[in-house]
Amino acid sequence: MTSLMGNQSGTIGYSFSEPTSANVKQHSFYPYTDNGGSTLGITGADFAILAGDTRSTSGYNINSRMVPKVFKIGGDDDTGEGATIILSVVGFAADGNALKEKLDTVVKMYKYQHGKSMSVSACAQRLSTILYEKRFFPYYVHAILAGLDEEGVGALYSYDPVGSYEREQCRAAGAASSLIMPFLDNQVNSKNQYIPGSGEGHALVPKKAEPLDKETAKKLVQDAFTSAVERHIEVGDGLQMLIVTREGIEEVFHALKQD
Amino acid sequence: MDKLVAQYSRPPHQNEMYSEQEQQDLTASVPPLSLKFSLPPVDNHSAFLRAMTDDHSNPSCPIKLAHGTTTLAFRFQGGIIVCTDSRATAGNWIASQTVKKVIPVSRLSRGEDKKSNEPTPGLLGTMAGGAADCQYWLRYLSQQCTLHEIRHKRRITVAAASKILANLTYAYKGYGLSMGTMLAGMTPQEGPALYYIDSDGTRLPGNLFCVGSGQTFAYGVLDAEYKYELTEEEALNLGRRAILAAMHRDAYSGGFINLYHVKEEGWVHHGFDDMNPIFWDTKLQKGEFSNVTSAL
Amino acid sequence: MAQKVVEAYETGSGAGKNAPFVPIVHESLDLQADRLLPSQSNPFDINGGACVAMVGKDCVAIACDLRLGMQSLTISNNFPKIFNYAPSTYLGLTGLATDVNTVSDLFRYKVNMYRLREERDIAPQTLANLVSSSLYEKRFGPYFVSPVLAGINPTTGKPFICGFDSIGCIDFAKDFIVSGTASDQLFGTCEGLWEPDLAPEDLFETISQALLSAVDRDALSGWGAQVYIIEKDKVTQRLLKGRQD
Repeated sequence: MTSLMGNQSGTIGYSFSEPTSANVKQHSFYPYTDNGGSTLGITGADFAILAGDTRSTSGYNINSRMVPKVFKIGGDDDTGEGATIILSVVGFAADGNALKEKLDTVVKMYKYQHGKSMSVSACAQRLSTILYEKRFFPYYVHAILAGLDEEGVGALYSYDPVGSYEREQCRAAGAASSLIMPFLDNQVNSKNQYIPGSGEGHALVPKKAEPLDKETAKKLVQDAFTSAVERHIEVGDGLQMLIVTREGIEEVFHALKQD
Repeated sequence: MDKLVAQYSRPPHQNEMYSEQEQQDLTASVPPLSLKFSLPPVDNHSAFLRAMTDDHSNPSCPIKLAHGTTTLAFRFQGGIIVCTDSRATAGNWIASQTVKKVIPVSRLSRGEDKKSNEPTPGLLGTMAGGAADCQYWLRYLSQQCTLHEIRHKRRITVAAASKILANLTYAYKGYGLSMGTMLAGMTPQEGPALYYIDSDGTRLPGNLFCVGSGQTFAYGVLDAEYKYELTEEEALNLGRRAILAAMHRDAYSGGFINLYHVKEEGWVHHGFDDMNPIFWDTKLQKGEFSNVTSAL
Repeated sequence: MAQKVVEAYETGSGAGKNAPFVPIVHESLDLQADRLLPSQSNPFDINGGACVAMVGKDCVAIACDLRLGMQSLTISNNFPKIFNYAPSTYLGLTGLATDVNTVSDLFRYKVNMYRLREERDIAPQTLANLVSSSLYEKRFGPYFVSPVLAGINPTTGKPFICGFDSIGCIDFAKDFIVSGTASDQLFGTCEGLWEPDLAPEDLFETISQALLSAVDRDALSGWGAQVYIIEKDKVTQRLLKGRQD
């Protein structure tokens, strides 16, 4: 603003002659919403399970009781047929959707260009770079990727929002991850369990983790979610489970409490 | 007429497909250095990033990244020992107890570690700070080292490799990367070489480094016992013992002891072992850690 | 030196979720303010610790970890958080260690006075109300503790457990009560492992597994654990071997 007074003394002047050269104020930029919910994955010798509840929340409100969090990657758009890899995303649903779409495109493009399906390990590393491309404006998601590896063994990869990843036996993510994960450590990886009668005091022998069979794993997933629903308000309504085996991908739904 | 034919002979859905560039973006695995990273639409993106991800200055930030570590590496007459813990924490939550914080940086040793006593040629990098930053940029470094090998028909020196990484972190200074890395390797030109590189752009050669939230505890053990003339077995035990001390006293370190030895022919993996049985052995057999009660 | 107003302690999340919003004003040297600033973190999370109580068939169990830390540094691994106030009445206190000591001593004093006046041991229900009203006396400057109470009523022989927030709101529960920095994890493990009418030995196994698995996922608690199994005329105390990281 041009001033008629030579020196801008500040005490005299027009009522709205605040210097406009002051720093332009930016509106606070908060592009994320936490849509709650929780996901969980368990693998075994010949299968991989990814599960998630189907509630979508923002704050204390429930947006919907039926928003799936687990997706088939690289299959037919409508039926998901032909897919061998599954992805679960939890956090900000819009980011999760964008991520899923992107990975889906990448896996399809790979298939068209190379004439073969992408392996889970390749897909896992690719997902890591996709997440890292947004290192400075992250996807607000915790992703879990699952499928069968080259030997047909269940493979599960878990990610942080900017793409650090690791292959694991089981992983819980999302709002109730802190409730579910220690339970899984105990039940899937036999943490803190000792073989009864193997000794006294320090001589007790720790129990080794055995790969679970499919039915036990499915039961555990259900137990984990019914427990989480009791104690976490953002989890509930429905349980979606995708199970990858050599025969294909099976999808199961169960009801969860709606309160 | 030709013009007319050309006009109508174009594939009908051409514009619906991905453009050449888009296709390339979708198939290229690593974004080029020219910064294809997407940035938030704000003036000060590092401030935005800090507000969203820095749980130290803002404990209720929405995106919690994995942090917390103890890593160490030291040179001795028989090569270099590299040892780390395996814990990743997000706030007080232990996100993982099984993180591989030693990353092989070489063409021949990508992928999962195989059980083998044969030394694997190449460098080793360690991970402290942001897990994704370290994983991604060490992968990038691995790529660059492989390219170097192809271009020059000989393995990259540790000095050169560390310089690539240091130049990179310096280029991204102020963007909010978080990494404290050690690069260890042995080449005919240099002998055993050890460098420390961090996200400020620091690059230091040295004999002994500890990095991470538990570094002081590891230094305490290491400084008391370290000398260059250590035998191989003594050196391995010292590395293990220093990490054990850090895991015990530092809440953000723990899990498994990941131990490597770098020698002339390459590196050898000496196990990824749960700290708990090792701790109790150290206590009950050697009488160390007398602060912990063992009467059950 | 300038007067410094340190931001109100963030009590909106984590272990102190039940705690009130308390603005605290520190008049202090700048240097001290700098030292205070990092511990702008929740006072409930500075020292770490976890506690859990469970009901079984004619018995109750209460267990705690043994860590005392200052943020990331572990100071002691022999800091039990369960205190005895009557033959079958125990109180677990997690939160700020200095307040754990103060509050446990305060109740020792109050319970001793009760015993002298009444010439009988205090019942868990009575202690619960004593805890509640004592904590509420400090409504606007609370002790940073989350107590857990477990016991068997000496007259009825019925098991009783309850929990409190830091200003004395009682949470009566029929199954289990958790508190401390690993409370989320404990909710998960307890909800997954607990079942009604567990016999004393089974209850011991359940509470031990629940506690150990929970603290192994929390950076600020663990380093061993202590368990009390309380039956009608018998109390068994056990020390658990936990991970030392």
